[in-house]
Amino acid sequence: MQRLRRTKILIESGLAVCQKLSQQILQKYEVTVIVPPHNGLVMVKVRDQAEGKLFYLGEVLVTECRVQIGTTLGIGLVQDHQPKVAYHLAVIDAAYQAELPEVEEWEGQLAAAEDDLARIQAGEALTLERTKVHFSMMNIEGAH
Amino acid sequence: MAYVAVKGGEAAIAESIKRLRYERLRERRTIAVKAIRSGLRALVDRVMSEASLYAKELAALAIKQAEGNPEEATFLLRAYRSTLPRKYYSRLTSMGSMFVERRISAAFKDIAGGQLLGASADYTHRLLDFNLEKETSANVRAWLAAFQREQEAEKPSVMPRVELPRVTDILRSEGLLRRMQQDDTAPRDITRQSMTFPAERSERLQTLTRGESGAVVALGYAAIRGYGLAAHPTVAALMVGRVAITIDYPLGACDSDDEALYLGQVRVTEVDAIIPAAKKGQGGKQEIEIRLGYGLCFGQNESKAIAMSVLDYCLEHPIPDSPVHDEEFVLTHIDSVEASGFISHLKLPHYVTFQSELDAARRINRGER
Repeated sequence: MQRLRRTKILIESGLAVCQKLSQQILQKYEVTVIVPPHNGLVMVKVRDQAEGKLFYLGEVLVTECRVQIGTTLGIGLVQDHQPKVAYHLAVIDAAYQAELPEVEEWEGQLAAAEDDLARIQAGEALTLERTKVHFSMMNIEGAH
Repeated sequence: MAYVAVKGGEAAIAESIKRLRYERLRERRTIAVKAIRSGLRALVDRVMSEASLYAKELAALAIKQAEGNPEEATFLLRAYRSTLPRKYYSRLTSMGSMFVERRISAAFKDIAGGQLLGASADYTHRLLDFNLEKETSANVRAWLAAFQREQEAEKPSVMPRVELPRVTDILRSEGLLRRMQQDDTAPRDITRQSMTFPAERSERLQTLTRGESGAVVALGYAAIRGYGLAAHPTVAALMVGRVAITIDYPLGACDSDDEALYLGQVRVTEVDAIIPAAKKGQGGKQEIEIRLGYGLCFGQNESKAIAMSVLDYCLEHPIPDSPVHDEEFVLTHIDSVEASGFISHLKLPHYVTFQSELDAARRINRGER
């Protein structure tokens, strides 16, 4: 599974899913924390839709962690102050980078978590649809 | 006149700070940061936008510490932000893939994907709701359960569109609005390099998006009232929704979008405002050109985003002698920390400068030179 899809599923699913996968690695391999979870900033780049130019919208608080399995590094980066999530994401990333056999088994679990997220998002979109305006024309006497 | 160094006041300052804490706590009640985060959503969004830092928990903490004063909370958040390292720059954050929570158009009744009112106070009567005085956790749980049941029972059967077209595309397809040329020139960053005038467009937009809401709205309003624009802007689209933040993978190559790292989502308000302007066409014929102003800011800050789009237009199309079309006038006065900081400094001791002014006044009034 490609990194963007995987990290989106993990972060949106939250700590429990990240921890569940990372524990499988932590129980079997020696994981060294290279840079413990710490806060930093990411500057957000956007494009203005009037003239098509780029500008900076502002910064987002993030938590970053780096770990190592054998000689392979892994990074965990997540919005807000979430040190545990950052740590587990780093372990999972290192597992993918090192191509550990466990990651093969995760594909199904991640796909199932993605389905859950899609259901939640679809539910939210459907409830928002209740606020959609349905215009009807008013009959005004004498109007032509 | 010589300067005289004085010292003193340390004990009074310590007592003043203690007194400040006492005023916050004197009624023996405290507000949980989580309650501020969830219950004062609009204030949290405003402070994040003005501080230019998207961090809900920290914004709520700043609001608690500042006793709800937005300018103080913004100052606290900006000060904290300055202690953190900037680790990365995001990839281009796409508004096209926004998860839309609210989308309205004042220009077109029928827009592809429809008008979604979402959560807004616009349609309330603005009557004080005295029931809120008696709101309890039990009331809240019961209301939420009933709301959930109602939403589940009467879900619309048609799945909404995931990605919605831009309303301005209607005008672009008709040739009424010129096609947008994408320009990937790296933006300037006013937090790293002081702005000089004339400013780059990226500097203008960055300054406007972190501007103090009241200042941005006041200047946008002044522009429409006749101190600038000669036309009434129309909101082509106002959207509130969540957009994904991604960065290039820091530990290796990131050759495709699929290999980027996802960090989370931020809620933003985006506005496209249409402003008609007279121009000379072929043969000197008078024509009307449709132009756009753009507003985008962190959080649900609708008035600010609309006013930003008006000021963006004003600064992009300068008019001599109009203060709201003068970028130096607008951009140097709308920052919360800079404006409140300067005004606040007037409270600080100016003993020497004031004594000198008094001396001058006495001398002149005595007829001396």
